[in-house]
Amino acid sequence: MSETPTYIGFEAYTGHIPPSIPSAVQQATARFAVGRAARVSELPQFEQLRQIASDIRLHTIENMDTYLLRFEEKVTAAGGHVHWAATAEDARQIVLQIAREHNVKLAVKSKSMATEEIGLNHALETAGIEALETDLGEYIIQLAGTGPSHIIVPAIHLKKEEIAAIFSEKLGIDAPADPIELTRIAREILREKFLNAEMGVSGANFLIAETGTLVMVTNEGNGRMCTTMPDLHVAVVGIDKIIPDWESLTVFLKLLARSATGQKLSTYTQFITGPRRAEGEFGPKEFHIVLLDNGRSDVLKDPIGREVFKCIRCGACANVCPVYKNVGGFAYGWFISGPIGAIFAPQMLGTPTARELPYASTLCGACADVCPVKIPIPTILRHLRRRVAEGDQIAASTMPAPIAAAAKLSALALAQNWIYRFGARILPPVMALFTRDSWISSAPYPLNRWTKSRPLLAFTAGFRSWWKNRNAK
Amino acid sequence: MTNPVIENIRRSLGGQRPPYNPRRGLGPRPAIYESRRPESVDSEIEQFLDEVRKLSGVAEKLSADSVSDALKALVAKNGIRKATLWHTPLFEQLGIENTLRSLAVDIISPNADKHEMAHCDLGITEAEYILPETGTLVLASSAEKPRAVSLLPRLHLAIVRPEMLRPDLHQVFAEHIGRGEASLRPYTPDYLVFITGPSRTADIELTVTLGVHGPKNLHVWIMVKNLTVAFD
Ligand code: SF4
Repeated sequence: MSETPTYIGFEAYTGHIPPSIPSAVQQATARFAVGRAARVSELPQFEQLRQIASDIRLHTIENMDTYLLRFEEKVTAAGGHVHWAATAEDARQIVLQIAREHNVKLAVKSKSMATEEIGLNHALETAGIEALETDLGEYIIQLAGTGPSHIIVPAIHLKKEEIAAIFSEKLGIDAPADPIELTRIAREILREKFLNAEMGVSGANFLIAETGTLVMVTNEGNGRMCTTMPDLHVAVVGIDKIIPDWESLTVFLKLLARSATGQKLSTYTQFITGPRRAEGEFGPKEFHIVLLDNGRSDVLKDPIGREVFKCIRCGACANVCPVYKNVGGFAYGWFISGPIGAIFAPQMLGTPTARELPYASTLCGACADVCPVKIPIPTILRHLRRRVAEGDQIAASTMPAPIAAAAKLSALALAQNWIYRFGARILPPVMALFTRDSWISSAPYPLNRWTKSRPLLAFTAGFRSWWKNRNAK
Repeated sequence: MTNPVIENIRRSLGGQRPPYNPRRGLGPRPAIYESRRPESVDSEIEQFLDEVRKLSGVAEKLSADSVSDALKALVAKNGIRKATLWHTPLFEQLGIENTLRSLAVDIISPNADKHEMAHCDLGITEAEYILPETGTLVLASSAEKPRAVSLLPRLHLAIVRPEMLRPDLHQVFAEHIGRGEASLRPYTPDYLVFITGPSRTADIELTVTLGVHGPKNLHVWIMVKNLTVAFD
């Protein structure tokens, strides 16, 4: 997990989903979707907030360079260090370099998508540095050696008995199958680690350009531990997390927890501006932030696709998605799953790697209805399907040549009346060659993609001639 | 100095826009939603207490003369033996530290080593602001008000006053930014934290469990007697 995938086989994965996944995932999604609906109904301005949030995000995307430079200037003025990472490899090297300079042996991490994206844990471990996830769910799956199945509850696919078995095996203790007891054990173990780690690694939910402030939202308090106890704090954050100012933040904070878990606000929201300034206070003596591009600046070229960067990672789209609820998070093959993953991965990794994901949707539109920043997810999915099938300015078609040709041909036929009529006339005799008892059960390549999953009923009458003669007896 | 990330962003977004000029400011941006309007101080206090309770916190209205009794009850009920607290004029005035000592509670300096702080049963703080809509405590940070006091002990007690009420995030943020060093404004203090209920998780089978990494218990006392407050 967390390594950059070279091909995401969504369809192949869905062929053998463990039965525990859909039931566990649906428990979580149902709980969050209900919580969200309750919070939304309490807040009459919710729709207005969504529109404002969307406007602010679009404005920020269109002026990303300006806001990022302002952010850099302010962090530097506050005594922090800003690093720019064009690629995942750059980002890994920057963090490793900082860790080596400070002789780090143990790094404590709070849940961060950007570090998943660059596979930081693996890089640190290879360099002989222990990298410990401290969010309870992330800690459990790190022990289990699997990936996250849900954006907010990463270990939702594991039952308490399985977690107890993992604790007993990996930690060499006698762990009972009781959530409260398991949490207490993790608290004790991780507390020692927080107090002894030389480096804290985090992501961020938002970066405020106005003052160079990093905003982190957590419920457990591990985010606070990671950024308060060690003397060194390194944050790795995607450049899309930038927002203009604190006034804009009011809108996003009102939307985020309500949309994610159905809380009004998450338990802890911290605002970090550079290293600690007061003697005798806690907090890092040194503060670094790695601004991660890793392909984002290329995605900005596409005015339709770049709306993906409005995302505030609330997970609401996944919680209502009928596809996600049945396949779970692993199927999406990368650190980010659900509808947002289906529009993020194909743009970031390219359509050759993630060409199946735009099709991992029924286009029902539930995601767009709940998205707090109004990302038109179905529109972007269709836009990406077109890129996969026909190709566009961003990328060439990734379909096998006969299918791409067939797609082009049918587009042409549907646009030209005479071709369409001609085709309609010759189709029945052609079909007759493959028809048995008025059904076609196996069509020739490439049409067998259809008949592999269901037979096709052969056409018997032409619609136009039927229509013309409908009143004749 | 060239910055390849910024350059590529500019290439992708197109070059029609004027180049960045730090003195021109950030330029126009979309309008912001207007602030929530409070009804009265009393209703704000009630809503605040109510929200804290909904989050499994313990919230009470107290007067200055009932603080020592309340402390006594808290210490007895929760088996408090070691405590740490912020150095503030309010705590001085309320005699918190002396009361605790008289109850045979060990007082640890809030600037003590983190390993020592981690053994505290109780951490007492004030708040800079409180938000009734969400039941949120907003805590600042300084040498007298270290951030670990609200994080390491297993029980966090915040003693707040109605003057700290703010209707909405807008007011909190505006005041917070304004407190930065004047020469660099807007330039905020290095740290601020919102605390909304005790530390929680639902990571194992969605069972809500309190006190994962932060405090398991959150108590909030709002000091009300002999205080007149008004919103302007
Ligand atoms: S796309 Fe919208 S709903 Fe989905 S995670 Fe992002 S912000 Fe939330």
